Amino acid sequence: MIDFHTHPLLVREMWERYPDLRRVARDVFFIRNLPQPLETFLLELDAAGLERAVLLPIDATTARGCQIYSNEQIAELCRMSERFVGFASVDPHKRSAADELEHAVKDLGLRGLKLSPPTQEFYPDDTALAYPIYEKAQALGIPIVFHAGMSWEPRAKIEYGRPIHFENVAYDFPELKIVLAHLAWPWVLEAVSLALKYPNVYLDTAALYFDNPKDFIRFAMAEQAPVTVWERSLRHQIVFGSNYPRVEIKNMAAAVRSLGLSEGCLRLIFEENARNLLGEVAG
Amino acid sequence: MKVKLEKLEVQTRRDQELIDITPQVERVVRESGVRDGVVNILTMHTSSGIIVTEGLPCLEMDVLNHLEALAPDQGDYYHNRYLDIDGRLGFNAGAHLKSILGGYSAFFPIENGQIVKGSRQRVYFAEYDGPLCRTYCIQIIGK
Repeated sequence: MIDFHTHPLLVREMWERYPDLRRVARDVFFIRNLPQPLETFLLELDAAGLERAVLLPIDATTARGCQIYSNEQIAELCRMSERFVGFASVDPHKRSAADELEHAVKDLGLRGLKLSPPTQEFYPDDTALAYPIYEKAQALGIPIVFHAGMSWEPRAKIEYGRPIHFENVAYDFPELKIVLAHLAWPWVLEAVSLALKYPNVYLDTAALYFDNPKDFIRFAMAEQAPVTVWERSLRHQIVFGSNYPRVEIKNMAAAVRSLGLSEGCLRLIFEENARNLLGEVAG
Repeated sequence: MKVKLEKLEVQTRRDQELIDITPQVERVVRESGVRDGVVNILTMHTSSGIIVTEGLPCLEMDVLNHLEALAPDQGDYYHNRYLDIDGRLGFNAGAHLKSILGGYSAFFPIENGQIVKGSRQRVYFAEYDGPLCRTYCIQIIGK
């Protein structure tokens, strides 16, 4: 089973090797907790009953003057544990973005792309900035995880994450699998509509904006949208994500498991859909 | 008069657990060279604690179960909200309340270089929101 949405922001070994990661975590990504040994990350997975985690960086060189983990650092972490699946990120404002993505996949072994329009300050349907990257991702056969909906980062505007900005991407790149993270909250139904209409659109569960994981996930996935939509219509287009370390993996996993979904649907959410996105299973 | 402070890390492995740290306390006391004085043990975290009880697995489970009944993880807490000091939501009020109920410290006298405690008493680091790498302090004051 896989957590498809984690950020390795608080790994102590990486802070020791790259001291600037402390500033990046605290002042750019805006997570203020203390660092933890890598072992804690792995124990978090154990506590949630999961085997693997997708590690997501964000290349915000132009918008924020830094990378929230470079592709090389993600590859370095993946060498520290076979339980990690590394994704790349590229800066859409850089002309070399598509080439850098190809390098990250072919040379560093990274297996997907993470883009965060609110952090990187671009509209996902910007054909000049972003489409060359999508063309490259589609050619490489890798999925893209997009931050969608609200971001907690103080400088990240919500507007960039509105789900409707992803429609042209889904429409123009039908072979490209895209994941709208965080249920695109608060626009859950709008994101659901995109997933219903476009089979290449997936959602992840990494959403927590008030209350606690159990109450919030129930609100978002059983009140904002009917719980039956996941069970009946989107069972193949929803993946588990925690957004660790903004949330402990164990708490988000327990929240999703408490929705009353069938065992078969939970198996798709926690494992099979993620493996499908990663190209580990046919179809 | 000697004052010695040692900070120790403990890697907890589960959501909630009690970890016997008596050997670590005895080692620090022994290495301090203090013959007569006191030893204080305290956790550095508000969602963990220090507990003294009999060293039996059944009691360890009873302690955690009782604290969970008094301060359940899933509760109607004001702490369930976004905290900009952390950049994330709180929602672990249950762990903080367990820490208050169980206490964050323990103290024992030292006499002739030995901790003065009952034969059944063990010192535990109590994790209420793990797994995490935690820090606790052992301070010796004496001569």
